[in-house]
Amino acid sequence: MKVLLSVVLVCAAFAPGSLGQDVRQMERSGDAAGVRAALASVVQNSPNDVQALANYAEFLDRHSDPGARAAYGKLLAALKNAGNAARTQAVARRLAELDLLAGDRASAARSLDAFRAANGKGLDLPAAPASSAVDGPGMIEIPGPLRSFARMAAVSSDLGPDDLLAALARNVVTNGYQASHSNDALEQTEYLKLVHRYLSQARELDKLAGEKKVIEISNCESKEAGDLLRIIGYRMRGGCGSEVVLETVNASRAFLTTDSGFPLANLEQALRTNRPFTYDYHPTRAPVMYGADYWLTGKEKGAEFIDNFLSDPSLCRLYLGLSKLDRDTAAELRKAMPAPRIKAFAHVLDFFGGMFEIRDGKAIVPGGEKTAAAWAELAGAPPSQGAAFFEKLLARDDGWLASLFDAMSRMSGPAKDYLTDPARLKRFYTAIRGRVTSPGPARPVFRSNADMMLLTTRLRVDANGRAHIPGGLEVWKNLFVNHPHGKYDGKLTKSAVGWKEPEDVLEALFGLSRKAVENEPLKIFMAVSDLDRNRAKPLEPDTVDKLARNFKIMGSQYAIFNDAPAVSDKTVVQFLDTALAISKIKDQLLRADTAGTMQALVGLWQIFSRQGLLPAASADASLSSILGSFAQIRADRDLFDGGRNGVTILLKATGTKDGVSPHDRLVDLLSGTGNPTDIETHGTMVKDAIRVLEAQHIVSLKTLFDLADHLESLGKGEKLNTALVNRFASRISEIQLPRAALTTVEKNAYAFGYWTERHVENQRKVNLRATIDRAAGNAEKLKDARGLMAPFLRDTLVAFNYAHYAPPGAQILYTNPLFVRGHDFLGVQGSNHTWRATEMFGTGWPSNGGGRLVGSLSGLAYALAEAEQNFLIPSQTQALIWADLVPQMILSAKIPRWWNTTPAQMHWIGLHMRYGQTLLAEAALDSTQRAALLDALSAYAAPARTRAIAGLLAAGDAKGAAENIMPAELYAVAADTVARRKDTAGPLLSEIARLRAEVPNQVSNETISRAFGTPKPTLANSYRPELLKLRTFPTLMGYSSRIMAESWESNTLYWVSLADEVHASPGQLNVLIPEWTRRVVERIFASHLEDWPALLRSLNIVGEDVRAKSRSGAAAEQKASLQ
Amino acid sequence: MKLISKLGVAGLVLGLAGSAAWLIAQEERPIFRVKVDMVVLSFTVTDSKGRYINGLKPSEFRILEDGIPQKLNTFAEGNKPALQMMDDGTAKTLAGGTEGPSKPGIDPRSDAFVGTNVFVLFDTSNFMYRGFVYAEDAIADFIRGLDRADSVAIYTFSRNVKRNTELTKERNDAIAGLRSSVVGDDTALYNALLLTLRDAAKVPGRKVIIVFSNGPDNASMVAPDDVRAVAEDEGIPLYVISTNEVNKDPISSSVFRRITSRTGGKAYFAKSWQKQVEAFESIREDLGNSYTVTYYPQPNPNEGFRKIAVEITSDVGKKYRLRYRPGYRPRSGF
Repeated sequence: MKVLLSVVLVCAAFAPGSLGQDVRQMERSGDAAGVRAALASVVQNSPNDVQALANYAEFLDRHSDPGARAAYGKLLAALKNAGNAARTQAVARRLAELDLLAGDRASAARSLDAFRAANGKGLDLPAAPASSAVDGPGMIEIPGPLRSFARMAAVSSDLGPDDLLAALARNVVTNGYQASHSNDALEQTEYLKLVHRYLSQARELDKLAGEKKVIEISNCESKEAGDLLRIIGYRMRGGCGSEVVLETVNASRAFLTTDSGFPLANLEQALRTNRPFTYDYHPTRAPVMYGADYWLTGKEKGAEFIDNFLSDPSLCRLYLGLSKLDRDTAAELRKAMPAPRIKAFAHVLDFFGGMFEIRDGKAIVPGGEKTAAAWAELAGAPPSQGAAFFEKLLARDDGWLASLFDAMSRMSGPAKDYLTDPARLKRFYTAIRGRVTSPGPARPVFRSNADMMLLTTRLRVDANGRAHIPGGLEVWKNLFVNHPHGKYDGKLTKSAVGWKEPEDVLEALFGLSRKAVENEPLKIFMAVSDLDRNRAKPLEPDTVDKLARNFKIMGSQYAIFNDAPAVSDKTVVQFLDTALAISKIKDQLLRADTAGTMQALVGLWQIFSRQGLLPAASADASLSSILGSFAQIRADRDLFDGGRNGVTILLKATGTKDGVSPHDRLVDLLSGTGNPTDIETHGTMVKDAIRVLEAQHIVSLKTLFDLADHLESLGKGEKLNTALVNRFASRISEIQLPRAALTTVEKNAYAFGYWTERHVENQRKVNLRATIDRAAGNAEKLKDARGLMAPFLRDTLVAFNYAHYAPPGAQILYTNPLFVRGHDFLGVQGSNHTWRATEMFGTGWPSNGGGRLVGSLSGLAYALAEAEQNFLIPSQTQALIWADLVPQMILSAKIPRWWNTTPAQMHWIGLHMRYGQTLLAEAALDSTQRAALLDALSAYAAPARTRAIAGLLAAGDAKGAAENIMPAELYAVAADTVARRKDTAGPLLSEIARLRAEVPNQVSNETISRAFGTPKPTLANSYRPELLKLRTFPTLMGYSSRIMAESWESNTLYWVSLADEVHASPGQLNVLIPEWTRRVVERIFASHLEDWPALLRSLNIVGEDVRAKSRSGAAAEQKASLQ
Repeated sequence: MKLISKLGVAGLVLGLAGSAAWLIAQEERPIFRVKVDMVVLSFTVTDSKGRYINGLKPSEFRILEDGIPQKLNTFAEGNKPALQMMDDGTAKTLAGGTEGPSKPGIDPRSDAFVGTNVFVLFDTSNFMYRGFVYAEDAIADFIRGLDRADSVAIYTFSRNVKRNTELTKERNDAIAGLRSSVVGDDTALYNALLLTLRDAAKVPGRKVIIVFSNGPDNASMVAPDDVRAVAEDEGIPLYVISTNEVNKDPISSSVFRRITSRTGGKAYFAKSWQKQVEAFESIREDLGNSYTVTYYPQPNPNEGFRKIAVEITSDVGKKYRLRYRPGYRPRSGF
């Protein structure tokens, strides 16, 4: 109906010859669907009007509408008829680009002909590469179909044969071998044993398939049927005919059969109906990098390549390492180093070779020419001798120099210039290398330590060109000398006394980064640096000192301050003092309730600050006031008053009018009341929040506060409000005893949870009516009675936080009615979890009372996402292997909210993504543009992928290139190019320029970063969404795997661009992005953690589905409007 | 209830059984109300020797909720066509077959009144590695032996659940789905059971879930008793076949017994292949010999747990043993 109205309005206001202001206004307000319909209508009425056709085609182009090609085609025809050569040339060029992006070479060639016919020059469609050879020494055969082998080898069947061996090599390296129980040698894991057994069975089946490579069973009684059943480990039960059933006779063989996806059910059906059974059993042909002979020694050459490959983990590691290099660099290295020599350093190549690059015989080194001599000195060969340099680099110090090279190659900006200063480079290398170099950083199968990479990536350089040392040098000297929890390092403690410059601190941090133990100073340094990063004025030395000394206990709380950088030093210190005072409360239950209530209120303050609902100017005062309420809690009554006061402060700070229900208002605020234009989405969010609160049987704030007021009134002689008291009592009756039906054995199996059980039990025992009766009108006793409601107030406030971060599906919150109440703010007795990041405890057996969250609320969003991820239902045959990455994806979809986002900002992203694709098409047609694009891309993509994309573009395959560039890279390259190029030709650049001129504040780098970035609590110590435009991190172990996940910034950019395409409103992003993210996760079929292309494939599948549904809906709507 | 009286019974089943009856006025805050859907109750009647008693008439039963007698809406025995109970106490055979919007995991053609919708939840985690192929054989046999009227869905689980075959009457499709299972990963039995229950709850008519698992759960976030509560409220009997011996894992065993008995199902501990086949045979018998009634609860102020009682009115019936779920909690909705 909206479209219909738009058509009527626009047709009236819009003449074919110009793009009226009304239309612009409609587009700006987000009614792109209306504009589309209107422009289509104008074209239908004036089919030969060049301007009308141009307006329509360019509109479709700007919105990535696939109809753009057809529209440009019509425009091209009209321009040819009109004899307008200049415009014909521009349109033909644009059409050729769109043809290439659609993968339509034939149309692109025709469009280029039209371009040339209009005197266009400088564009050529490169010849498509000849199809790769299917035979020859570079190919091996693996028996059986690819799908079966991929299943057994735990490789995604989405991978083509080209990538098969590299993926297999990775699995063999990471999962194929384990330490032997009996000696020092490695032994095969069950995974690898099964792969070997599968190959053995597949060879038997291959033999049975004969030369035709097809398993053919003519009928149930044939000899082949018996042979086949023997090989696959089954037998027939019952005679041939309708009664025949296949059953296991050899469990090992049968397992391989079913696990590899052999079509057993089809075979059974064929035998039962006595029909022929055929199964294509052609072997899988896979290319081997450099040919099989390169990898095998003389005596191995007679055997099957795949068997040798699987049996040699060091060979696999070398294959994996070389597969990460770009082809030219690998070729140079191979020329310079014989295979056995490279193999000796395969582990270093695997971890750090991905950033090696040789161009024109020279090694590309971080820091460029100015650092070349320093690198030459450190490695022992000059970068001008590319292969020799990398050979030396690989061999140096068991990988320490290569690790530094890798970390610095991934950097950009002033920090890179700073760290690659020759003197500093040598100094920091000496620190990271240490005196004892073994074991080197590449010895494990996963990178064990992300500290150095974190330090180099996030180091901040001040305007004076020196490293930013938060709090100043003295704080750090003092920290190392008068360490709070024991020495960080004996030598550093001694040397710290003489520190005089920032580099001294950095040297210490580099030195600690080589250690396998927790690097607390680095964590403190990064956390406080990140606090300073967004502040107008850095934190005072005393504040930094206090933050540093309390990091062990309070460190996970520091990210809170990044959501409101205007928080003063005084309030930061007040937060720490308040938290430490709470930790000293002796009564365990009161302490848990106080910590929970305070954290829940601060959590709400944090959410409101992040969403702009709480003005920056009042953020400091409101936080300080909230904290003030908890400075001295002695009893439950104090706590209830403090909690209530906190709610009042929050309501006031968010501009709440008097008389509004506090409960409803908080739900409204959490559900995006800031943008009243999208009532429908807001309503959906409100309903979702209420569902969670109801499922948790939360007592509303209104009931609690009314009761408190009523208790006070009773003291003044007012009559008892039975209905109010009963409402409260009725809610309490809904709280069930935790796991009431447990047996003693089960109860004894619990390792923790004592205090949360007490918390719930005490709530169930509350009898307000009896308390009132006992008070017998005593005003003081009645006032004390409100302390009974403090635990309920805690749960309600905590529940608001849970509801806000509830992941898509929220199965736990809907199923376990005690999940919120069960939040354990104390943790296992003897430990202190109160201020630690939220953790998931109690999953699975024997603590089968259900998992719960433990610790503070500072990591609540992540913990909820982590807990919920196993409820996602993968669409592929293998379970999700992305356990470390999925929570971050959910987090990125749930923490940012888009209530303040504008249609112009969404369109800005859409235009840049579209322009990024255009750059690819341009690069496919123009070699000069190609060089510029690849240069820009190399700042984000690893050399190997950059070269692969170069190859695709050189073959005119813009579509293939686009499928290999991650959305964040595409956006970054487009944004960099737009900033560099000054021209505004074409529909995309002109629109970008127009937006920049019309709404500069909405499309500044900072605003776009805040709107469409992702929260990075581990990498940037902040939940504030931010677009860092980073290279994706490699696979890391432990907590570091979160850093890798946080370096992935593509999802939101992809979704926003998609939403712009399908004309969704900004408010709808709040519902669509979590839902789309869920669908993407369920469709990921990755072979390993760094398989980003698998994630891109999944994004594209969901994107195409959304587009298809949107198009069919739009087509129907447009048809209706035109009728 | 006014609305109910205006609509036909078949329409009611479709319209209310799965829908959230939330009341929201334009621009007003949504209010949660207790919502009472049609209750589906399955039960078995056995004599003192455990033999199933068949052929009992609707009039021989009395269903009570918190002591309040309920008026039957439909009545079915085994896989025989259901009877619609008329106001005058007579019964007429219902014609099955419905069409509706397709939902994930749901075959819209599933028949609401004839047969049982059987959801098989098969453990494919690392714990099942050894006996996996024999378990597959046993399940395949079970599927082949199901009544023609029954529909079956095959779900597998390890850390995540997977819908191998959605609800279907095609046995070959179900077996093909079963045979496409892949083994490996942690065991999140109760998470998977919850998701299966959520899918089953969307299907009209009678449904059961049969879990085939080795027992120990090492990855679930939800507790067995929370999942049991969902099954109880949705009226979905749970059957568990555990390949673990009872004495090896007493906690799992007692949980299995509890969640099955509280939902009207049964637990079997079947380590050997033969015992597994017997367990499946027993379940099949249970399905073929149970009674299923539906009713819309009479007005009841109790918004908490409502206790169900099934009684046989005849004197001879007093000697029989009845097995059914003890009650349910009406759902909350907007």
